[in-house]
Amino acid sequence: MPSIVCTAKASYKKLPGTLELTDSHLQWIQDGKKNPSVRVPHQDASSLFCSKEGAAQVRLKLGLVNDDAGHNFTFTTTPQEVAYSERETFKTELTNIISRNRSSGVLAAPTAQTPKGPVTAASTLTPSKAATPAVLPASRASTSRATSVVSDGRTPILSGQDAATVFRLRKRVLFANPELLALHKELVMGGQITEAEFWDGREHLLLAEAATENQKRGRPGQLVDPRPQTVDGGEVKIVITPQLVHDIFDEFPVVAKAYNDNVPNKLSEAEFWKRYFQSKLFNAHRASIRSSATQHVVKEDPIFDKYLEKDDDELEPRRLRDEVSNLFINLGATLEDHVETGNERDVTMQAGRQRGALPLIRKFNEHSERLLNSALGDAPPSKRRLVNGGDVENSFSEIEYDDLQDHESSPGILLEMQDRRRSSREVIDVQNAFKDLLSRMNGWEGRFSQLKIERKSSEAALSSMTQNVAARLDTKATKSDFPPGLFRQLTTCQTAANEFLRQFWTSIYPPPSDLPTPIPTAAQRSAKAAKMAGYLGKTHEKVDALVRAAVLEGVEGNRVVIAMKPLMDAVEHALAFHRARSTALGGGASPEKPGSKLV
Amino acid sequence: MCDLKRTLDATGHCVLEMPSGTGKTVSLLSLIVSYQQFHPTKRKLIYCSRTVPEIEKALSELKRLMKYRISCAETPEQREKEENFIGLGLTSRKNLCIHPEVSKEKKGKVVDARCRDLTNSAVCEKGRANPGSVELCDWHENLGTHEPGTLISPGIWTLADVLQHGRDNGTCPYFTVRRMMPFVDVIIYSFHYLIDPKVADQVSKELSKDAIVVFDEAHNIDNVCIESLSIDLTRPMLDSAARSVTKLGEKIDEIKITDAAKLQDDPEDTFMANPALPDDLLNEAIPGNIRKAEHFVAFLKRFVEYLKTRMRVLHVVAETPLSFLQHLKDITYIERRPLRFCAERLQSLIRTLEVNRLDEYSALQKVASFATLVATYEKGFLLILEPFETDNATVPNPVFHFTCLDPSLAIKPVFEHFSSVVITSGTISPLDMYPKMLQFTPVVQETYPMTLTRNAFLPLVITRGSDQVAISSRFEVRNDPAVVRNFGSILVEYSKIVPDGIVAFFPSYLYMESIVAAWNDMGILNEVWKNKLIFVETPDANETSIALENYRRACDNGRGAVLLSVARGKVSEGIDFDHNYGRAVIMFGVPYQYTESRILKARLEYLRDAYRIRESEFLGFDAMRNAAQCVGRVLRGKTDWGLMVFADKVGYMTSCFDSIANPSRTQRFARADKRAKLPRWINQYITEVASNLSTDMAVTLSKLFMRTISQNPNENQTGVSLWTLEDIEKAQAKQREQALLLEQEGQQGADNMDEDEYGDGGIEDEVFMNVDL
Repeated sequence: MPSIVCTAKASYKKLPGTLELTDSHLQWIQDGKKNPSVRVPHQDASSLFCSKEGAAQVRLKLGLVNDDAGHNFTFTTTPQEVAYSERETFKTELTNIISRNRSSGVLAAPTAQTPKGPVTAASTLTPSKAATPAVLPASRASTSRATSVVSDGRTPILSGQDAATVFRLRKRVLFANPELLALHKELVMGGQITEAEFWDGREHLLLAEAATENQKRGRPGQLVDPRPQTVDGGEVKIVITPQLVHDIFDEFPVVAKAYNDNVPNKLSEAEFWKRYFQSKLFNAHRASIRSSATQHVVKEDPIFDKYLEKDDDELEPRRLRDEVSNLFINLGATLEDHVETGNERDVTMQAGRQRGALPLIRKFNEHSERLLNSALGDAPPSKRRLVNGGDVENSFSEIEYDDLQDHESSPGILLEMQDRRRSSREVIDVQNAFKDLLSRMNGWEGRFSQLKIERKSSEAALSSMTQNVAARLDTKATKSDFPPGLFRQLTTCQTAANEFLRQFWTSIYPPPSDLPTPIPTAAQRSAKAAKMAGYLGKTHEKVDALVRAAVLEGVEGNRVVIAMKPLMDAVEHALAFHRARSTALGGGASPEKPGSKLV
Repeated sequence: MCDLKRTLDATGHCVLEMPSGTGKTVSLLSLIVSYQQFHPTKRKLIYCSRTVPEIEKALSELKRLMKYRISCAETPEQREKEENFIGLGLTSRKNLCIHPEVSKEKKGKVVDARCRDLTNSAVCEKGRANPGSVELCDWHENLGTHEPGTLISPGIWTLADVLQHGRDNGTCPYFTVRRMMPFVDVIIYSFHYLIDPKVADQVSKELSKDAIVVFDEAHNIDNVCIESLSIDLTRPMLDSAARSVTKLGEKIDEIKITDAAKLQDDPEDTFMANPALPDDLLNEAIPGNIRKAEHFVAFLKRFVEYLKTRMRVLHVVAETPLSFLQHLKDITYIERRPLRFCAERLQSLIRTLEVNRLDEYSALQKVASFATLVATYEKGFLLILEPFETDNATVPNPVFHFTCLDPSLAIKPVFEHFSSVVITSGTISPLDMYPKMLQFTPVVQETYPMTLTRNAFLPLVITRGSDQVAISSRFEVRNDPAVVRNFGSILVEYSKIVPDGIVAFFPSYLYMESIVAAWNDMGILNEVWKNKLIFVETPDANETSIALENYRRACDNGRGAVLLSVARGKVSEGIDFDHNYGRAVIMFGVPYQYTESRILKARLEYLRDAYRIRESEFLGFDAMRNAAQCVGRVLRGKTDWGLMVFADKVGYMTSCFDSIANPSRTQRFARADKRAKLPRWINQYITEVASNLSTDMAVTLSKLFMRTISQNPNENQTGVSLWTLEDIEKAQAKQREQALLLEQEGQQGADNMDEDEYGDGGIEDEVFMNVDL
């Protein structure tokens, strides 16, 4: 069976199914069927097309060597971000394959299309006429970016998730972590422990994965500024995507208003956009001060000129806002703190002399604020005031220096002593003892000068040290080279046993879990411990088998034993503990609190 | 603290430079408060800061300090004493008003005027005698029911606290503070309330002479001084003043008919009562020819007309006050003496006439104070008439600048009136510049280094872009596309590698506005948008505050943002970009002042003539203190860290050369403009390598720095930058030893005794004890 590189849920010709990329083929299997209905060998892949990020559907189109129409897959996994990232995985893999195909010359006739550049999705229309800005129905509801931006702040709760999601998460974790994957293959696929047991205690990995998955991309920060491309004949064209339409509506509500007012009664969709891009309104919306220079070129437009607002280039903004209540950052308060005095500032220091730049600057600030609000939610100023100002602690936090805080002055833990009197007597004893010591120390100089070291013993010590060092060097120089096969076996044996040990000890001392997983009952735990102990008991045999295998391969069995010694010790310890406990409990009666007895 | 105490004991002035973000405010406050509490004389503390955010911050520091002191008090009496300590902050009516209608007004001036209409004594009398006849401010009225001195319970009240207190109790916060002023131990307000004679007259005149005055963040104090005595007059202002004069005249005629007696006893009480003006003005009676109301109005009319004619000139005129007065006398027969009393007389007239909506008369008030100033000072002032706004403008928009050139004039009364004045800031090197400019002799003049267990900040000087084109904000090249692009690429690169917030400062608004537009057209900002949000300082303060708030939200959220603002602008003053709010500061160019400005030229000339401060020296000093100020905003505390990027070829190179060049070289090239003007605590960390970098090298260095600095800072700082009690005792012992040694040396060579006068910590203690006995 060829190994699967990546899989994803995808529909093909509107039928749900699974798309798989193996190391030789790309195949698609319809749900409920066994055999793939589409199967493309790697050599046949010649080009790749993807829908744009943020498009309504996450699509991937594979062009074939002898068939430009190729196959069209739509990734159906929800949420869309996941589908998108799955598509990305496919895309990178396929891109590699295609470029390999090209370089190796398998491809008979190079196609004219660009190999991997993400071409606009099929839903994006190309302009029909050169000068006419192309238009398409704005499917606003489906393309709304705002929904994708708001990341639901709650932490993902695994137990509340359906099995499919958990499965997907597990798969992702495994694929991201090859060692874990190997272990999983060994133990779970080998049937030694169950899937659930394997993941027990590894929830944090899943949680982390779920968290990264839930972290959605925010809105890209760039300004909405459709830049016309100039094509031959001095005509310009602007490609409109649903995304762009949505952005424009979002950024300039006045355009949305105009759209609602005029389409489709007075203007057709295409006409609307054509006229918009030629209007003064569009020029006013463009984020450039040069646009004002082109103002005179622009034609009058009775429809759009109605919506034209005056340039926001006065010193005071047109839209008045509430004052910032936080005095720490209120600049206006300073300005009004005293009557203005002095000469006016020189020309360069008078703000707002470049009239043209003011609307631009305001646009930046507003755009940034909008982005921020879309991510954080628009807290009304009054609410923010409560959060920011008012309370004393908060205003102190503004002035506090971290480093001047005395972190070390914790109250300390009182030592609880059973018999204080005795201990105090001991203190006195210590003083006495110290005096004793002091008295005994008298005249140490004389005695020290009499000290002689035997020649023989010192030499012996030195030589033993040398030997020790030499032995160490020896072992370092001669690397214990197990044959690779045996070494791999050793490692797998080691990791498997480690896993069992982990399971064993977690069942005995459940970790202080803040995870939402249901905590298993004591009976369950002891059953599990017994099971694990059973597995651990077999470790000995396994190691013996390894030793035998080693001998066959021509390696000293002793070395294997030494290598596995720490592991064996740990296993022995665990087994001894288990035996002791089960006898103490008199045959598996559930312990109340196994941890507390040990302390 | 020792130095400070020495100053207080000696009742003299001092200049202290302490690196920003090391707890300057709190150490000043804690010493002075202890001092106040210990001595029975109860010297008042007047703590001046620059901006409202800083005032608020100082108040919270004080509040916290007092909380600590109360918790540490040993006996109940002490505790009570600490609890009775009162500290308040004062700001304008606009910021403290809670009247539902008045506080809605946009302009501070209007708020002031409307507030006066509702609260002045005449109206109040009328209102109380006959309730309902005139509108009064309830909040102000409620104050009257309290005993003076108990308007607010003892303790420390921040501005926000006072506002809340006002809302809760239905009393006016502004007047609460104003009336509590004689009773408080600490008052915190902005420089202007002490320096500006117009304001100081109303607010600060009751403050006793032995008060301790602290000017915090005082690196710009000379500018504040100059501003407080400079006045601009424009054509529209003169027109408005003329209208006001006419209105006054009408009002006088009206009152003459209805209430002639009122005018009769009008000028009786008018003696100048301004502590901030020179003494000779204080006790002089108002000259007879403007004592009568109608005469005064005619006088004003003539003066305004004269100014209007002057404005018609189409070439630049610069003259001294003396020649102006001479010309004035020749044309209009207006003498100097009555002119001097113009402002005061106008005030009294307005009071007598019970004029409402004072804000409409502001232009006239300005003209009057112009008259007073021009007639009062002979030296250190210049009148400049600029008919055109810029050199290539064709439509005249005449401005009559009356500009103060000598900062010592405004602050002189302060130094004379108060015995101890402390001037302190993070960036006031070279230290000797301030005493020179402000004309005072400090008792103590110290700069303190910063001790860091790790280099918490990395100053870098980028002199060329990755393409090796030198970058500079010099006027000739700054709009060169290559330079603009290189500046842009610095921003792009840093927006990629720096987490959270980046603050970028430009030398001027004009430059920022043009470069932002250029960057946008070059697509540079699109690159930045990919990594961070962009916020820009706008002309409107409130708008900028909102942008700032959002900037901080973006930094908190982790999205990260870039704030583009202007050195010397609104944002650069008093807003801290500590921790995640500013992981990197980028200075695009050197924030030199606009050297073509005539006012600046005049000032430079004056500095050269009067104090022998060279033009280039002053310009460099001024630019560097602003740069250092901008850059210093990113550090607060030792666990904080930040990058400081200076992007300019010439400016920073020369300024930091001094510290790295060897002494012999410094002596050889000891030119004034090569002196280190960045404060020492920044300068000492600029290595030779880091002072001449291209963009890509700088980015590599920064990455390296950030990787090391982002490690857990929880190493033990004790012994290095945090001292335990033993460490301090050790240091003191060492100091004493040294002093002893010095003394012995002194006895041996008996002639250099006077040197260790200040090196000894023991003498003060004796003095201290003697005082108590």
